[in-house]
Amino acid sequence: MSLFRTNDTLERLNQILDDTMNGTFEESRYDESQLSRLESKWMRYLTASHRSLRKVEEERASIKELVTDISHQTKTPLSNIILYSQLLQEQVQDEDSKKLVTQIHLQSEKLQFLIQALIKTSRLESGTFQLQPQENEVFPMICDIIRESEKKAGAKGITIANQVDEAMTASFDKKWTAEALFNILDNAVKYSPPGSQVKITAESYEMYATIKITDKGQGIGEEEIPRIFGRFYRGEDAHLEEGIGIGLYLSRQIIEAQSGYITVRSQLGKGSEFQVYLLR
Amino acid sequence: MIVLQTKGLKKYYGKGESLVKALDGVNISIEQGTMSAIVGTSGSGKSTLLNMLGGLDRPTEGTITIEGKDISTLKDESLTIFRRRKIGFIFQAFNLVPVLNVYENIVLPIELDGETVDEAHIEEIIKVLGLESKRNSMPNQLSGGQQQRVAIARALATKPAIVLADEPTGNLDSKTSQDVLSLLKVTGQKFNQTIVMITHNESIAQMADRIIRIEDGRIQKRGERDA
Repeated sequence: MSLFRTNDTLERLNQILDDTMNGTFEESRYDESQLSRLESKWMRYLTASHRSLRKVEEERASIKELVTDISHQTKTPLSNIILYSQLLQEQVQDEDSKKLVTQIHLQSEKLQFLIQALIKTSRLESGTFQLQPQENEVFPMICDIIRESEKKAGAKGITIANQVDEAMTASFDKKWTAEALFNILDNAVKYSPPGSQVKITAESYEMYATIKITDKGQGIGEEEIPRIFGRFYRGEDAHLEEGIGIGLYLSRQIIEAQSGYITVRSQLGKGSEFQVYLLR
Repeated sequence: MIVLQTKGLKKYYGKGESLVKALDGVNISIEQGTMSAIVGTSGSGKSTLLNMLGGLDRPTEGTITIEGKDISTLKDESLTIFRRRKIGFIFQAFNLVPVLNVYENIVLPIELDGETVDEAHIEEIIKVLGLESKRNSMPNQLSGGQQQRVAIARALATKPAIVLADEPTGNLDSKTSQDVLSLLKVTGQKFNQTIVMITHNESIAQMADRIIRIEDGRIQKRGERDA
């Protein structure tokens, strides 16, 4: 008799778990038995956890909204500041004022870049942006990012060599991956000595395609390497250069969001080698 | 998430000539975690409605669903247990047990259910309601406001699906009323409780997220406010 009852109880417990997994759990009865008490308690627990789950989702949604608001509301005034500082630059005659205006202009552009980068990272983190990796050719993307960097490189007499095989393909999101690679290339140009060469090569493995950006810059100390992908991290010797330390962080976010990764090899004084792995 | 819903709720008393329609087709839905006030003059049917919602009385027609369960289908005994586990009551007359001290009164519904007391939860409730120093006092040593705070603590102790309050400040002066109501609202938010409160006092009703007006057994109009 008691064996039967134990079996019944176990069967009901099993049923409770099944129903819970299907999201259809309901209390079957209200009486003074232990089982009924357990059902009530289980129900209370489920409602509470359901509730906190919803709360988390709501909070997440409100953060997304906040980020959208910030990006939206700061855009216009900032564009105006940049525009007016440009106009002022053209009007101002004496040298001292010119210097000041140039600084205002530079700092505003920096601020704009910073806000844009922060918005991007927050959207990547919160999953607002969905990357869509597709089979794409690598070569045209490399041409694009080189074109973007040419002005800066040209000013320092740096040449960028594109040694990527034109037929090579990999699976990636075009726009975002270009941004990730550009940040790396931009760094390479920034930290390379005048007149040197930055080299971009690529290779296909069985699972991954890699794109390698090699510079002959100052290099990164071994103990610094793990930290360069952190948000707002700036190299110890990097303070002379422009920048805010968010580029590499963003790059890693983008690459990791498409199941790839980035490795770094560097020797102080000899140069660095950033290698981006993308799924084929 | 809707925690409480009534559909076509009717309660008729008497027959033929003397038929009284205390409730005549009431449809309401109440969101989890909100505070609602049911307002109406005496005889409008608001107490009848609260009694129905709390399973203290059965409707002539219609359904009452709490956490997805239609309580009008439950047998008397099941209903009693359902009430004990799912509904917290706060009455005008406090209804504390005079021979038990404050703490014992608060945990009474839990012990009636043969459950172990979640001490941390009870302690938090006692703290939020400012009853720490009264833990061992007897009800007759407390002021009206303090007694009602104990009743609120008791209603929250079982973590019920809804808390029903019938004129919770009917026996209190206006200053104490304000105190008790603020505490009710704050604790409701803190413990994410759904509260349905009956009152005939408009200014008290203004504390709620939503006001349900009832007249001659029917819902009048819905006023919704931001919390």
